[in-house]
Amino acid sequence: MMSSRKVVELFYDVVSPYSWLGFEVCFLNRLILHTAFPPPPTLGNKPPGLVPNKFLYMTKDLDLLAKYCGVPLQPPSDVFEAMFQKGTLSAMRFVTAVQQQEKGGDKQVEQVSRELWRRIWSEDKDITEPASLSEAAKRAGLTDGEIQEVLKLSTSQEIKDKLKNTTEAALKYGAFGFPLLVCHIDGTPQMFFGSDRFELMAHCIGEKWLGPNPDNSAARL
Amino acid sequence: MSSRKVVELFYDVVSPYSWLGFEIICRYRNVWNIELKLRPAFLGGVMQGSGNKPPGLVPNKFLYMTKDLDLLAKYCGVPLQPPSDVFEAMFQKGTLSAMRFVTAVQQQEKGGDKQVEQVSRELWRRIWSEDKDITEPASLSEAAKRAGLTDGEIQEVLKLSTSQEIKDKLKNTTEAALKYGAFGFP
Repeated sequence: MMSSRKVVELFYDVVSPYSWLGFEVCFLNRLILHTAFPPPPTLGNKPPGLVPNKFLYMTKDLDLLAKYCGVPLQPPSDVFEAMFQKGTLSAMRFVTAVQQQEKGGDKQVEQVSRELWRRIWSEDKDITEPASLSEAAKRAGLTDGEIQEVLKLSTSQEIKDKLKNTTEAALKYGAFGFPLLVCHIDGTPQMFFGSDRFELMAHCIGEKWLGPNPDNSAARL
Repeated sequence: MSSRKVVELFYDVVSPYSWLGFEIICRYRNVWNIELKLRPAFLGGVMQGSGNKPPGLVPNKFLYMTKDLDLLAKYCGVPLQPPSDVFEAMFQKGTLSAMRFVTAVQQQEKGGDKQVEQVSRELWRRIWSEDKDITEPASLSEAAKRAGLTDGEIQEVLKLSTSQEIKDKLKNTTEAALKYGAFGFP
């Protein structure tokens, strides 16, 4: 008996460390990767790190989770500069462009996203400059030709609009932060926010939660 | 023989996620090698002391939390049902007298924390399952009665709960949570 695969959409931004955890853990089922930009502050939400006690807690929480989940998370030396001053708009446009030109699957999107996270959230490197984005794409296995095309595409109106639309799709689902997983269960979208809802999500889609590292793919990170 | 690990649970009955955390950790008392210490505290004080805001004040979060709590309630087997007026129950009426009451129960209880556990549960049940008041002395008495306290014990606890001693004790527990770095419960 073959049951139909359940569609799970993952909305994320590489600025978000919890999104990296969610991204790496969430390969139990087929994923639709949505590169998006975090919901704007006009919605009333603020980045959690702006509450001092939350910031202190998150630093320790992420360190424990990184070890437990097998993701080499290491905060950048200047977190506020990396996350809030420099930001990730060009990075997410770049990932959107990779997704746009990729034919047949999302292996490149996955790899480029991973390499961008690795730069900002493991190696304390820049992800705003074209040279930085190129390095990440090269490590992800794109050819020089592909990289040039994607760089050019990433500043186009088409890609700016696509990122905007995906972000609005997330907001339409009711997003207030990332990572956001949307499962389509019997035609109804069910939202799961955060990297700590996998056990509940598994229960809701009729799957078994096997912990954050079900096939030891962490060893390859 | 390995020594038991001490686990402190800071909570306030205003918080539905605290009820979930409370029930789960209580179930694990006999499964894990832990010594559970219940620390009834005041969430309003933690919010104020940490500069945080209740998540429900962000509209999209409020909508999400309603569905999240419903799924978690079924999954965890806790009969969570939001009150008909959540904002009134949580923010207008609040839980200061309720948490002073729980603190007083803990103060007079000798040998263990069965009464604290039961009274906390009955208060959660009132606000977060049966849409009942938990601010009036009559409401607190009903919860304590359901929790198995005698009429005599209930009278003593009610009297104690408005004393300076108990007000200070609740304040101190709340500050202990803040000292650990709290910004919310559980």
